Amino acid sequence: MAFKPSKRKRRPDATEPDLNLTPIMNLMVVLIPLLLTSAEFVKLGMIELNLPPAAGATAAAVSKMPQEVEKKLDLTVTVTDQGFYIASSAAVALGKAGEGPTIPKLADRYNYQKLTEYLYKIKQKASGVFRDDDKIIILAEPSIDYQTVVSTMDASRSIKVDGKWQPLFPDVSLGATVL
Amino acid sequence: MAFIPSRIKRHETNDGEVKLNLTSMMDMFTIILVFLLKVYSTQGQMIQPSQDLTLPNSTVQEHAEVALDLKVSKEWVVLNDKPVAKVADILSMNSLIIPPLAAQLRKYARQAQKMEEQFGTPFTGKVVIQGDKKLPYKVLVKVMATCGRSDYPNMRLLVYEKNG
Repeated sequence: MAFKPSKRKRRPDATEPDLNLTPIMNLMVVLIPLLLTSAEFVKLGMIELNLPPAAGATAAAVSKMPQEVEKKLDLTVTVTDQGFYIASSAAVALGKAGEGPTIPKLADRYNYQKLTEYLYKIKQKASGVFRDDDKIIILAEPSIDYQTVVSTMDASRSIKVDGKWQPLFPDVSLGATVL
Repeated sequence: MAFIPSRIKRHETNDGEVKLNLTSMMDMFTIILVFLLKVYSTQGQMIQPSQDLTLPNSTVQEHAEVALDLKVSKEWVVLNDKPVAKVADILSMNSLIIPPLAAQLRKYARQAQKMEEQFGTPFTGKVVIQGDKKLPYKVLVKVMATCGRSDYPNMRLLVYEKNG
């Protein structure tokens, strides 16, 4: 029998949408993938720098261990606005002490690639010979910006040889030239 | 005979109730929950990079840790969300150590040492430094020297990871 709409038996159906959720769903479908993708791009990393505990430690974080007779490499990279100066207590593989930076700037930008290669050569000669052959001290002039120092640290940490990463000087200390 | 709806009779209006379709809402909440869990499950997310500064990029692989939070933006030095010193003052200072920062750090160090006595949580002396990438090295060195002298020698520099 055909009943009026009000008299028709209603199914006990509670899921009949009266509220139009489509625009809200649209927003969600756009927002969630956006957040998901943006979460991937910001990955935080951390560089560890341990100073020796405050027993008169100054900004030059050279550890004040009793002088031993063993040979120390004391590798130092000084970042200036002319380029990189590389120095060491043991004058191994550093060639002549000429004027000008060891690795000058290339077209007004720092030549990190060359720095890494140079350090690799030093590492090959120094590894096993010196006690502190994975330690490097990075100094910089006061006006050098932070990103440059961080990139220098990156350049001295490891090198990719034949597709594999080899460590160079992962133990980094920061020091300062005259402030 | 089929029922013919009358044109005259008024349509039954709703009495104001809205039936909510819950299934899609639940789907959305589940996805949001999964997403937030994924984002906050890594330790590094507990440290929020500050909005006033741009961290430098680095190829380092290690993940960020939770420790005392020291932010050095272009203008202010902020320790645990409390401003401590102005970068302009630091630049004009001749001394290596920054007194207000040193005082605040010692305060935190003392608190942490007391906690160590009471609860046994070891005091690691770790501080996470977030610096703007254009910060002059001079400021960074002074900040780090101050940390080193104030019982926080283990510094971690926060950076954005980039590949290659």
